[in-house]
Amino acid sequence: MPSWADFQPFIVSGLALGGVYALSGVGLVVLYRATGVVYLAFGAVGAMGALIAWSLINANVPDWIGWLVCVLFGGAVTLAYGMVFGPPLARRDPLVKAVATLGLTLVLFGVMDLLWTSSGGASRAITLPTDNSGFTIGQIQVTWTQVIGLAAGVVITVVTAAFLRYTKLGTAMRALANDREITATLGVPVRRVEAAAWLGCGLLGGVAGLLLADLVALDATTLTFLVISSLAAALIARLRSIVVTFVAAMAIGLIHDLLTPIQALSNYRDMTPFVLAAVALLAVSRHRVIPGSREEA
Amino acid sequence: MTEHRAVEVEDLTVRFGGVTSLDGMSVTFDAGTCGLIGPNGAGKTTFFNVLSGFVRPASGTVRAFGDDLLAMVHFRRARWGVRRTFQTEQAIEELPVFDNVAMVHEHARLSGASRRRDVLDAITFVGLGADPPARVDTLTAGQRRLLEVARAVVGRPKLVLLDEPAAGLPDEETAHLGEVIRAIPGHTGALVILVDHDMSLVSACCETTAVLDFGKLIASGPTAEVLRDEQVTRAYLGTAEVS
Amino acid sequence: MLDTASRTDAAWPRSRLRRPGRRTLIRAGVIAALFLFALLALPQLLSLYYVDAMTQVAVYSVVTLGLGVLVGRVGLVSLGQAAVLAIGAWVAARLLFATTQPYPLVLLEAGVITMVLGTLIGLPALRLRGLYLALITLMLAGAITVVLTTTNFPNGGHGFLGYNGSTVHIPAIRRPSIAASDPAYYRYAVVVAALMFLLVLLHIRTRPGRAWAAIRQSESAALAAGINTTLYKLWAFALASFVTGVAGGVLAGAVHYLYSINFPTQDSITLLAVVLMGGAYSLWGAIIAALLLQLLPAVLNNWGVSADWLTILFGIGVLQVLTTAPRGLADQVPKDLSRLGRLLRRRLRRPAQAGGDPA
Repeated sequence: MPSWADFQPFIVSGLALGGVYALSGVGLVVLYRATGVVYLAFGAVGAMGALIAWSLINANVPDWIGWLVCVLFGGAVTLAYGMVFGPPLARRDPLVKAVATLGLTLVLFGVMDLLWTSSGGASRAITLPTDNSGFTIGQIQVTWTQVIGLAAGVVITVVTAAFLRYTKLGTAMRALANDREITATLGVPVRRVEAAAWLGCGLLGGVAGLLLADLVALDATTLTFLVISSLAAALIARLRSIVVTFVAAMAIGLIHDLLTPIQALSNYRDMTPFVLAAVALLAVSRHRVIPGSREEA
Repeated sequence: MTEHRAVEVEDLTVRFGGVTSLDGMSVTFDAGTCGLIGPNGAGKTTFFNVLSGFVRPASGTVRAFGDDLLAMVHFRRARWGVRRTFQTEQAIEELPVFDNVAMVHEHARLSGASRRRDVLDAITFVGLGADPPARVDTLTAGQRRLLEVARAVVGRPKLVLLDEPAAGLPDEETAHLGEVIRAIPGHTGALVILVDHDMSLVSACCETTAVLDFGKLIASGPTAEVLRDEQVTRAYLGTAEVS
Repeated sequence: MLDTASRTDAAWPRSRLRRPGRRTLIRAGVIAALFLFALLALPQLLSLYYVDAMTQVAVYSVVTLGLGVLVGRVGLVSLGQAAVLAIGAWVAARLLFATTQPYPLVLLEAGVITMVLGTLIGLPALRLRGLYLALITLMLAGAITVVLTTTNFPNGGHGFLGYNGSTVHIPAIRRPSIAASDPAYYRYAVVVAALMFLLVLLHIRTRPGRAWAAIRQSESAALAAGINTTLYKLWAFALASFVTGVAGGVLAGAVHYLYSINFPTQDSITLLAVVLMGGAYSLWGAIIAALLLQLLPAVLNNWGVSADWLTILFGIGVLQVLTTAPRGLADQVPKDLSRLGRLLRRRLRRPAQAGGDPA
């Protein structure tokens, strides 16, 4: 069993990772509540944004422009998808809506592989200036990037929770989550509210993509499927509570990284989000009695 | 043990979150065809869902033909003899008429030897007017409703629950449906509970009627009397005609 | 009423109800002809490169068949069939290395073991509906993929896992003695695939198929009709897992060497995509899906075009299918490809129509 000292660096990295999962998870939950769509392409848009940023930075474009493009790309693609494919699928089962986003994922995946072929040897990387500066807490080294990761998670969670509760737009989103039709009859501009939700989620996707590209790896497959960790957190929160999403995301990030120094389990640590999500889903379903017909979905 | 053809509901209460859909409902259905009416949201479909086993009541009992219905697992109730139609018709598109009806017979674990005869009997009984191998998408709306009823009466049903079987049908088809419903108890020995908003259908078919409003039973007895009851009229004020 | 009843009874004896129509017989004939062509003639006509590709098509047509049953017939979406295939391949490889059992027996065992695992996993998962079921299959598949990356596929080593990390010379997974060459193995694969299709067809035409149709229509109506929906859903899972497990066994022999990178998570998604595009409901759809998945990439590769274009195509395909299908994923209405097929068939049949079955 590794010592406390062995675990320490992983607590930091786990918190940072958890923070990014949290901000992603919050984005997923808010979008789901507003539109009923589980946005499985979240990771893919972030991945492609990060790759675009990398290409730009490599072409000597100022770093901050690259990052901005990454975030905006996430927002733009997500908004475009939401506006084009949202309405025709609006009345369908959440399953159909989610599978549709898988279609987007495949498209992005194919484009990424086409434009940025997995070049055998040289690996790409995104580095933020905050990677190299940091401070130490006791024995542990902490980079500012990691602080940003954690802070972003906390800030987004708090801001989103407040936004949903106290602003007009946020309240409208909560109303939409309850019933789209009734909300429309109340004079709420449904399309505009949904657009805001899509855009917000997409922007968060871009941010998450950038941070994960830095903290983990700049690789299309890795980044695309990291969405599952955030999804796991959202599922644990039953796609409802922002706060639970945050807690779950932190837990997933921490557990994942804390398994690293444990020899016997280290290789299996990537299973963490899958296992936790599966357990959460099963725990949620324990009370079902009504099978419900398709109409009741 | 003689089976007394009756459904005895005692103190049935169903709660969904903060809403009480059925509130201490106590009534006995013992005529051949019984009506169950009430304004929208009164709890009629919830009651059927309790009988089907989709909803677990918070308290109360239901005894049907002397057996404790709630003790049975939902899909086994069909084997016991519960049959049901739904508000939105559920004919299985990809199967022909015969198979649609035969499936109910099959899963009620009735003998395969009598299956063909029983299915044809049910199809004739409702007056479907379509050939057994016909595909469901060739049927008219009225025929599909009749197919639903055929599925509900095939074999040896004990309790037939009809949930707005005439919804959306023109008058003459409703009248035909009414005749069929009236004949079910005599033909099969089953007890029929009919939920509908069409009062002329209810008064034509049902000997007794119970009325639900906000989950509470507000009247029960011979149909003609119940329909004249003041409380019932008041509960329905603002909704469609009470004939 | 008694008179009408006995008249109907006499009019529809058992034989008349069960007689296969003329259309069914013609269709069976066409299928038999196509099967014989694929089995006997095709390997003579194609280069080895394409024979290999068609072997993959045969393998994956069984996988898409299994997924098609789940999605198209029962209405359950599984995002984990690639993992099930990997399990089947793993089990088969292990048995092929560890024992000298005849190939058909190994395939059967691979199928059964995969079926048992699939059913065990399906058991708790079946309490979940629609979206959550799909997501949990994704989660479980992801977990299995991680495990596979660590345990690797058997390569002739010892121990339970049968993996030897340090061998330089890795033995090839063996093939049946009668089907050692590539064309011969292709034929073997086609025969196995045909058997799997027959197995599924048998299910669809009998009680489970009817129960699935009812469940897909409405689970509550099915329950009200006395159908034990959990049992039949499990049955579908078991069937899909079995055939996919067998396919995994055939895959093991086809490729000789198995690596975990050959089973990425994304495969489960593209599997669903092609099944949707080919048409989840019909058995032909499974074959079309397999052609999309395995033949097209081979063709593109041959022409020097990146297979990524196909990934993009599949993504677009998913979006197109879902936005135009009026009744959800398990829709009966044929998609463009099969709609085209119907159109052609109708055109071909028009001169021959002389008061036969209604089209």
